[in-house]
Amino acid sequence: MTTDVRETAVALDVAIAATELRQRYGEFEAVRGVSLTVRRGELFALLGTNGAGKTTTMEVLEGYRPATSGTVQVLGIDPYRRRRALSPRVGIMLQENGFLSDLTVAETIGLWRDLHANARSLDESLELAGLADKARVRVRQLSGGQKRRLDLVLSIIGRPEVVFLDEPTTGMDPEARRTTWGLIRDLVTDGTTILLTTHYLEEAEHLASRLAVMHEGEIRVEGTLEEVVGRHGDRVSFRLPPEIPLDALPLIGGHTPGVALAGGTPVVTYTIAGGDQATRAHEALVPLFAWAAERGVALERLAVRTASLEDVFHSVVKESA
Amino acid sequence: MNDVAQAVRLARVDLTLVFRNRTAFVNAVLLPLLIAGALASNGVGEGTAGIPGTQYVMTGMMAFILVFATFMNLAGFYTSRREEMVLKRLLGGPATRTAILGGSALGATAVYLGQVIILCVLMSAAMGTSAPADILLLLLAALLGAAFFSLLAMAVSGLSSTGEMAQIATLPVVLLLVGGSPVMLPPEMLPPALRTAIEFLPMTPIVETMRTAYLGLDYIGAGHEPLGPLERWGAALPSLGLLAVWIAVAALLARAFFRWDPRRG
Repeated sequence: MTTDVRETAVALDVAIAATELRQRYGEFEAVRGVSLTVRRGELFALLGTNGAGKTTTMEVLEGYRPATSGTVQVLGIDPYRRRRALSPRVGIMLQENGFLSDLTVAETIGLWRDLHANARSLDESLELAGLADKARVRVRQLSGGQKRRLDLVLSIIGRPEVVFLDEPTTGMDPEARRTTWGLIRDLVTDGTTILLTTHYLEEAEHLASRLAVMHEGEIRVEGTLEEVVGRHGDRVSFRLPPEIPLDALPLIGGHTPGVALAGGTPVVTYTIAGGDQATRAHEALVPLFAWAAERGVALERLAVRTASLEDVFHSVVKESA
Repeated sequence: MNDVAQAVRLARVDLTLVFRNRTAFVNAVLLPLLIAGALASNGVGEGTAGIPGTQYVMTGMMAFILVFATFMNLAGFYTSRREEMVLKRLLGGPATRTAILGGSALGATAVYLGQVIILCVLMSAAMGTSAPADILLLLLAALLGAAFFSLLAMAVSGLSSTGEMAQIATLPVVLLLVGGSPVMLPPEMLPPALRTAIEFLPMTPIVETMRTAYLGLDYIGAGHEPLGPLERWGAALPSLGLLAVWIAVAALLARAFFRWDPRRG
């Protein structure tokens, strides 16, 4: 009995769930067994190269197509079979805008407002889109960034509980991107669940409560930013002292050094993985300094940093290359 | 909003766009009226099938101009909007598939009905005929015709990769359907074998029912004699049944060929 109650509680907390999702187009399997869970109020970022299967995964979750196999649920509802029940509670922003470009901004918002039962007002929508002074402008005359922003507002005009954003800030200048991040953050603050894909890693770093990196139809890495980056290890690097031959470099905590040329100078990098994430960099430096003192060398340009999302991303892509 | 309210809302958008987009305005609104006017004034004076040629051609034109707004232009609309992701974007919102496709069809039908009204006014004002004898039957045939061509437009759009290609793809269909129908020429002027074939093509029941409904004379049978209200509906029944069959066929074609995802990539 207690298990049942707890399962129900967990289910209520889950906004988006995919289990062993597979999607096949003819011979090509675009998504190969993806399982993911997005809890209510969370912003989950789906990262990956082009063709990794992000958009296909999104389209199945959005209810555009049935899964070839596996199950998906949004707010506990099958998004393909029960689209009609779900669609008032979900907002969708596709990778491409899909505007009737001869309509004005106000007419476009007006249409979407009328299609929704409980829509935001025209003024509020224009304000959110940052297009208050462009109400009477034809949509085709907007810049790429302005169109994205308008499309984002259309997807949230009916105050949905769950929002799918497929590359929402593509084509925006850095300033517009910041403003849009602010808008997305406000949605999360209001309790909206968001599943977002992006090519901008810093977008995921800024916004995501959790994230996953997809590659070749599979999720390769998943967790909070801290977990994902933490699993990837800390980096300790310095210039290779000229008098030290490569094979004289020490093992540190069992880790071997890597050497790469940076600006014509060989740079040594240790990747310190495993152990206590909070203290492992410090623990690695102690024997390193002892070794340097013993050899009488200075470690020039010594740098200690945690892995970045970029490191994680590239290693995922490289692993299979 | 239910399906109907959504479709009406989307039809309003389509009407706005038909009048805002110059190409669509010329193709769907202006051209059919010009063609109908030109062909009808050409036939002045000659008697055809027991009535003045103008009346015969004008009542034929009422059916013929279906192909502009509800077929050629609509097929182009569906196709270009699919390729521009408009259909998919709308589908991501609360509007249902029926409302999205039906909305555009409804908008096109409204344009067509407006044109029929203009032709009716022209006929009774400038060509000396009376008002339509049976407005209800005329309207029913017009609506069924619009439904048939709208469904056919969906099928054609699924097979075309651009709006322009879709419009071109409608041309052979238009030639076949219009050529194979008594729009301009009375069937009595054709060889019997051809006449029988033409009787079963979809444009024939539309034209004959509209002509009969307008003039109050039997243009479904061969006699062309005046018909009372009940007789008109009785005479039109087989035509309406045939049209219903064609609508079902067009619906199956639409279901088989229409697509929501762009053809590119």
